[in-house]
Amino acid sequence: MLAGTDVAKTGGMIEPVFKSDNYLLARRLLDASVARQEAIASNIANVETPGYKRLDVAADFASKLQAKLRVNGGDANLDEVKLQVVEDSSARAVRADGNSVELERELLEMNRNSVEYNFLTELVSRNIKQMRMAISGRSL
Amino acid sequence: MNVLAGISVTSSALSAQKTRVDIVAQNIANAQTTRGPDGQPYQRRVISFEAEMQKMTSADREVQAPKIRDIGVDRSPGQRVFDPQHPDAAADGYVTMPNVNMAYEMVDLMTASRAYEANLSVIKNSRQMAEKAIDIGK
Repeated sequence: MLAGTDVAKTGGMIEPVFKSDNYLLARRLLDASVARQEAIASNIANVETPGYKRLDVAADFASKLQAKLRVNGGDANLDEVKLQVVEDSSARAVRADGNSVELERELLEMNRNSVEYNFLTELVSRNIKQMRMAISGRSL
Repeated sequence: MNVLAGISVTSSALSAQKTRVDIVAQNIANAQTTRGPDGQPYQRRVISFEAEMQKMTSADREVQAPKIRDIGVDRSPGQRVFDPQHPDAAADGYVTMPNVNMAYEMVDLMTASRAYEANLSVIKNSRQMAEKAIDIGK
C-alpha cells in the first residue's frame, strides 16, 4: 500500500481522510473483490459445464490502479480504471471436457477473497470512524 | 443490483444439482421395477444441462448459468436374468431388468451433492460479505 497523503498538499480538512491513497484504493479494490466473488460463483456453478473456462478479475487491475494513483496522487479518479472480468488464460484444462475449473482451487480462492474483502471493509470503516472521531472529538 | 454477489448463477446451479439428485433417487428407487405403467421395465433417466446467459452485476460481462435442458431416457437394454418364477418373466424364462447401474448412480449422486455443497458455501460466503458491507462505518 502507498503512504497516506499529507494534509498540506491537499489543503482541506475533511478531504484528506477520504482522499488518502489507502482509502481510494480500498474503495476500488472492494469493487474488484465483489466482482471476483461473482466470477468464483460462476466458476463453481459451472464446474461441470463442458468447455467452460474459469473467469477471474483481470490480473493487471491492481497494478493499473496503483499506476494511476502514482501519477495523479489523491486527485486520481480511480473509477476510470475499468474493472474487467476475463477468462483466466493461465488456468489449464486438466480434464477431457476442456473445463478449466478446479473445485478446490475455487473454494480456496473464495476464502482468500473473503479475507481480502473483510480487510478492505475494515479499512474503509476505519477511515469513516476516523472522520467521525474528528467531528465529535471523542472515540466511539 | 444484487446484494449477494453471484447469487443468481449459484441458485440456478443449486436447483440444477438438486434435480440431478432427485433423478438419481428415482433411478435407484426403481432399480428393480420390472414393470412400469407401460408394461416395460423401468429405464434409467438421464439429465442434460444447458447454459443460460446472465448479466454480471459487478462487471460488464455475461456469465453462463447452468439450467436443466431435458430429462431424457437411457435407451440401452437392461440386463436379462434367468428367473422363470418371476411374474414378469418372458416365455423363455428370462426377465429384463431395468438398465440402472448402481455404481453409476452412486458416483452421480456423490458428484451432484459435492457440487451442491460447493455452491452452498458460495452463498454462505456471499452473505458474510454482504453483512460486512452493511457494517461499514459501524
